[in-house]
Amino acid sequence: MSTDLITWLLPLPPLLAFLLVILFTNRRKALSHTIAVGAAALSWLGSMVIFVRAVQVEHLGEHPFHSTIPWLPTGDSVFTIGVFVDPLTVTTLFFVSWTVLMIFIYSVGYHNYGQPKGDHDMPGMPPHGATVTDEHGRSKKVLSIEPMYARFFAFIGLFAAGMYTLVISDNLLTLFIGWEIMGLCSYLLIGFWYAKPSARAAMIKAFMTTRIGDVFLLLGIVYLYSATGTLSYRDIFYNQEVLNSLAATPSGFLGLSAAALIGILIVIGTIGKSAQWPLHVWLPDAMEGPTPVSAMIHAATMVSAGVYLVVRSYPLLSAGYVHGQLTAPMLLMGFIGSFTALFAATIAVAQNDIKRVLAYSTISQLGFMIAALGIGAYVAAAFHLVTHAFFKALLFLGSGSVIHGMEHGVMHTDQHIDPQDMFNMGGLRKKMPITFITFLIGGLALAGFPFVTAGFWSKDEILSDAWGQGYTMVFIVLALAALLTAFYTMRQITLTFLGKPRTEVAEHAHETPWTMTVPLIILSLFAISVGWSGIPEKFPIIGNLFPNWFHEYVGGSLLEHPEAVEFSVIPLLTSLVVSIGGITLGWLLYRRIKAGSKDPLESSLGSFYSLLKNKYYFDELYDRVFVQPAYTISRNFTYLFLDRKIIDGVLHWVAYVSPIIGTFLRNYIDKPIVNGSGDFVGEGTKRLGRTFRFIQSGKVQQYMIVALVSLAAFSVLFYYLLTSAP
Amino acid sequence: MIPISWYLVFSAALFTIGLFGVLARKNAVAILIGVELMLNAANVNLVAFWRYVTPDAIGGQVFAVIVFAVAAAEVAVGLALIISIYRRRNTIVAEEIDMLKY
Amino acid sequence: MEIVSNYLLTFILFSPVFGALVLVLIPRDQVSLIRWLAFALSLIPLGLSIALWFNFQSDLPGFQFQEQATWYAPINSTYHVGVDGISLTMVLLTTLLTPLAILASFNITDRVKSYMILFLLLETGLLGVFLSLDLLVFFLFWEIGLVPMYFLINQWGSEKGERELWGGRKMPARNYASFKFIVYTMAGSLGLLLAIQMIGVVSGTFDLLRLYEIWPALNQPLFGIPIGTVKAIAFWAFAIAFAIKVPVWPFHTWLPDAHTEAPTAGSMILAGVLLKLGAYGFLRLVLPLYPEQAKAYAGALGFLAVMAIIFGAFAAYGQNDFKRLVAYSSVNHMGFVVLGIAAAAFAIDTNNAAIALEGAVLQMFNHGLSAAAMFFLVGVIYERTHTRDLNEYGGLFPLIPVYGGILIFTSMASLGLPGLNGFISEFLVVRGSWPILTLYTALAMIGLLFTGAYILKGIKMVLHGPLNEKWAGHISEINAREIVVIAPLLVLMLWIGIWPAWILNVINRAITMFFQGA
Repeated sequence: MSTDLITWLLPLPPLLAFLLVILFTNRRKALSHTIAVGAAALSWLGSMVIFVRAVQVEHLGEHPFHSTIPWLPTGDSVFTIGVFVDPLTVTTLFFVSWTVLMIFIYSVGYHNYGQPKGDHDMPGMPPHGATVTDEHGRSKKVLSIEPMYARFFAFIGLFAAGMYTLVISDNLLTLFIGWEIMGLCSYLLIGFWYAKPSARAAMIKAFMTTRIGDVFLLLGIVYLYSATGTLSYRDIFYNQEVLNSLAATPSGFLGLSAAALIGILIVIGTIGKSAQWPLHVWLPDAMEGPTPVSAMIHAATMVSAGVYLVVRSYPLLSAGYVHGQLTAPMLLMGFIGSFTALFAATIAVAQNDIKRVLAYSTISQLGFMIAALGIGAYVAAAFHLVTHAFFKALLFLGSGSVIHGMEHGVMHTDQHIDPQDMFNMGGLRKKMPITFITFLIGGLALAGFPFVTAGFWSKDEILSDAWGQGYTMVFIVLALAALLTAFYTMRQITLTFLGKPRTEVAEHAHETPWTMTVPLIILSLFAISVGWSGIPEKFPIIGNLFPNWFHEYVGGSLLEHPEAVEFSVIPLLTSLVVSIGGITLGWLLYRRIKAGSKDPLESSLGSFYSLLKNKYYFDELYDRVFVQPAYTISRNFTYLFLDRKIIDGVLHWVAYVSPIIGTFLRNYIDKPIVNGSGDFVGEGTKRLGRTFRFIQSGKVQQYMIVALVSLAAFSVLFYYLLTSAP
Repeated sequence: MIPISWYLVFSAALFTIGLFGVLARKNAVAILIGVELMLNAANVNLVAFWRYVTPDAIGGQVFAVIVFAVAAAEVAVGLALIISIYRRRNTIVAEEIDMLKY
Repeated sequence: MEIVSNYLLTFILFSPVFGALVLVLIPRDQVSLIRWLAFALSLIPLGLSIALWFNFQSDLPGFQFQEQATWYAPINSTYHVGVDGISLTMVLLTTLLTPLAILASFNITDRVKSYMILFLLLETGLLGVFLSLDLLVFFLFWEIGLVPMYFLINQWGSEKGERELWGGRKMPARNYASFKFIVYTMAGSLGLLLAIQMIGVVSGTFDLLRLYEIWPALNQPLFGIPIGTVKAIAFWAFAIAFAIKVPVWPFHTWLPDAHTEAPTAGSMILAGVLLKLGAYGFLRLVLPLYPEQAKAYAGALGFLAVMAIIFGAFAAYGQNDFKRLVAYSSVNHMGFVVLGIAAAAFAIDTNNAAIALEGAVLQMFNHGLSAAAMFFLVGVIYERTHTRDLNEYGGLFPLIPVYGGILIFTSMASLGLPGLNGFISEFLVVRGSWPILTLYTALAMIGLLFTGAYILKGIKMVLHGPLNEKWAGHISEINAREIVVIAPLLVLMLWIGIWPAWILNVINRAITMFFQGA
């Protein structure tokens, strides 16, 4: 099969799996997951074939795989859609296909395949466990299978289809289609346990918050389409003439050029999708969904899609970029990204929910990438995107494994404590060794543990780019964020795995089945090895061992191959210091936490701690400032006041006044004047006749006299008239 | 020769007598007779003017003859009506016959 | 068969009347026979219009399948019918929705015969508007459509509810709604009739094809008034009549009432087709007959469209009544149609205008599908729960999973999710309007955002959250007949969303040929 054809077919298996499961096999659990995992495997296989073929092509950036078909007739032209494989696509496809496949397999175990049906489980609620009787006649409680098992696989199938569509598309419109399909899936999956009010609120919050970004993105796409007449990457991002003319055209808005305005709109789309400040609020709440969903949406694919978009549109965002003078979209990205990186990291420090910590760290890491793009570090951003996808998926799946093990403990002990609260854990390294090792690898990668982990290399590259290009402020902020990252990661590892179990539940936690641990192991391999593909060539000693393949290869996606920054010791030292320092600090501070004791930060930070704990009160603020007023405007102003009172009021007033006018017309015009004059003629004639009827006596002689008298009178009259006439 | 005024005076007297009869008498036959008198007064005038004013033309005589004929027809119809009324209402007093008002 | 192909449009137009006549002959107590017969008879126009679709040659300019016959000789009005790509899609929509609506009303038990007869007559009225090429005949059918709808709302509408009038008088909601609907529309048609008569008197013909040539070129003073003023007045007479029908903000308040009180199938047709009459009027009459005035007042029209989009979405979000929420969504969606029309009016001969109009026509078709489907789904749940209050539902998803899935699908189509039909048309409208009415298009995004809010609110209140225990065991899954009603709509939504070219080719060519003579 040709590469183009395979690329076209990539989203198809998961999409078909979705349709099959939804329409036909939704009552057959085993069949459903077989179809879904099989579909994911097919797509994975296709991606790998493409990957192998693509890396063999020299100068793929200049001669990408590209094939199009006409899709949308628009006026005098036709909008074509197509598939497009360049180095950026290939690398994205690589991590997407691996993580997606791992998550599919992991879901089988996570949703308790093979376990009995729950006693009181019903669709829409997480499984509550089932009571089984073992061979000794003792009854005990065990985990029960997810009641909506098949549905979950359908949803993630559609999700995968959306992601593949987004990655392989050759234009912004089909990218947007995949983007929104993922939005829908994230909505459906966050609210997978829809009967929980918190999940219900979270799903809407996620959809609406990202939709804010989406409408801006749509405007950006529309603007771009209007300005250039195309949305194809090749015709815009790889066409210097178009880019130059866009950068030269004024948009008429705040003095920005068209390219800058479009770029800003696209960046806002990314801010929504990648949960950057100020649209970050949905991501932590999205942890209401099952853990594989968190991993998939909030680590590997959907939030990465936001970054992928800005990486992809980087030529446009940087159109008009002269070294030292950032364009407006880049400035925005630099600011938002670095601010978010630090901001989210501070919140993560004070969270106790194992998944929420990861959620905030995701926000923070995405901030790193966006900040990197903002300062023009194209390759570094893409690199961090890839490594982050692997280690964050690993961490989320690992946390899911921990929660799963804790739930096992909850079932066993029948204590109803929160299985996600890290202060209820401790000492899990012995109970769940595989999970511990893999989580540790992921955590160290996130913390940027030097030399070994992927996270170190990608983060280091961002820092050295920031330093090398002279953006000291960005450098300092990101370094601080990296310090905090290392700190809270170690805090998490320490609280969860190290020390002694703090609760009975943690004591009875249990390692998870192979369907969950195997993906963890595979992902942990990547969490280490991926970093080696991007070691800077000038790096002391090991720089020569591995060529900087990533830079060479992905850099080829740009028209002008970006220069690698000069190697400098300061960012390297900073990287080392912050990661080692943060890890040490975290370990020192949390290694002796006893059951029931408070977070040591709580006493040292005081009220600032509760500010962090409550996420700077952004949820409350938005609720007060946007959500509540929106409802008030909708219900009280628009509906009850504007429509019901004013507009309907006017109509009712017309309806009320028209009879009054009618009555007036009838009583004062119609009756007296129109009817009156008619009546007057009739009535007057009648009355006149009645008055003079006595004349007609019927007596001939009287008539005669009258005639005579009249004759005489007329005679006299005529006589005078005739004689007096001149 | 007798002056024309004598005829005219006579004719006027006759007409007045007839008019009086028409207006004052109660008997319908008498009223009819009054009418005849008035007609004949007119005849006198017609003949007199013919003789004194236009003796060469015969218009005056012709008119007089037509009046005779009309008077005769009128009397015939009038008497027939009076008889018919008498038969139905048993009276010929003009005061009591007021059917014209209906 | 030749006679059918020669007079295809007449057959499509009057076959519902024929159906109604057949129904008249059936005894009224043969309820199930009447239902099935009405359904079967309504399939005739559908079959014929599918045949029309396939025999239509989209690359030829002008109107096809024209028929002309003397109708009212002394004033030069003729029975002249014909289709182009714009009316063709609308005819297809009408003939598609009517059988589905009839199938959806099989649960009506009260005076079934009259109900079905009215429904078929309604179809003729609607088709007549789309097919006629003579102003007077157009007006005739325009008014004919109102009458059956009035009775459908008035007699078969929901039995609960009251509306309070100015001065504290109360009247039953369905009487209120039907009265408001007919009087409001009639008030609009008044100006329309006057303007049509004026055009007829001045031009000596009511034939649209002739008028397209004569009327816009007319430049002598009329009745001693400058022609510009006359045309402006006539333009507004047309525009207001159609704006009420669409409905454009602030003429929209009849819509939520009428939609809410109408029986389910009535709402389907009302939202699906009746609203399109107004937009169709803009496309067929206002833009070609008054190009200059339309351009001069495009800004105002665009403003009203944006208000409809924004306030329609807001008002929908503020509802607690499920059906009223869906009704307000129509205001929101039709706003995009008008926005596209306004943008096109401003710069009619550009490619942007063609795209905007293309989007507007497709949006008309799409809204016909999704609004009809949404109203149907509201009807399904109302039939089972006898309430429309969103707060009364809650957590119904586990009880009715298939219904829930269909509801989510339809809602997403209505929301404009890419991959489903609504997105294509909204994208085209926004794309076409952006370069022309940039600010309005940007403002419309607020409406687009709140579209999401109210759609999600509907799903949230009905399906999600803790189960309202009182429905457990009392609510049944959507049945086979209901699935048959909704399935064609779902298939079309998906089909247009994934591969829109089949319908856009027809629309696009019609638009460019009709408005730009290309």
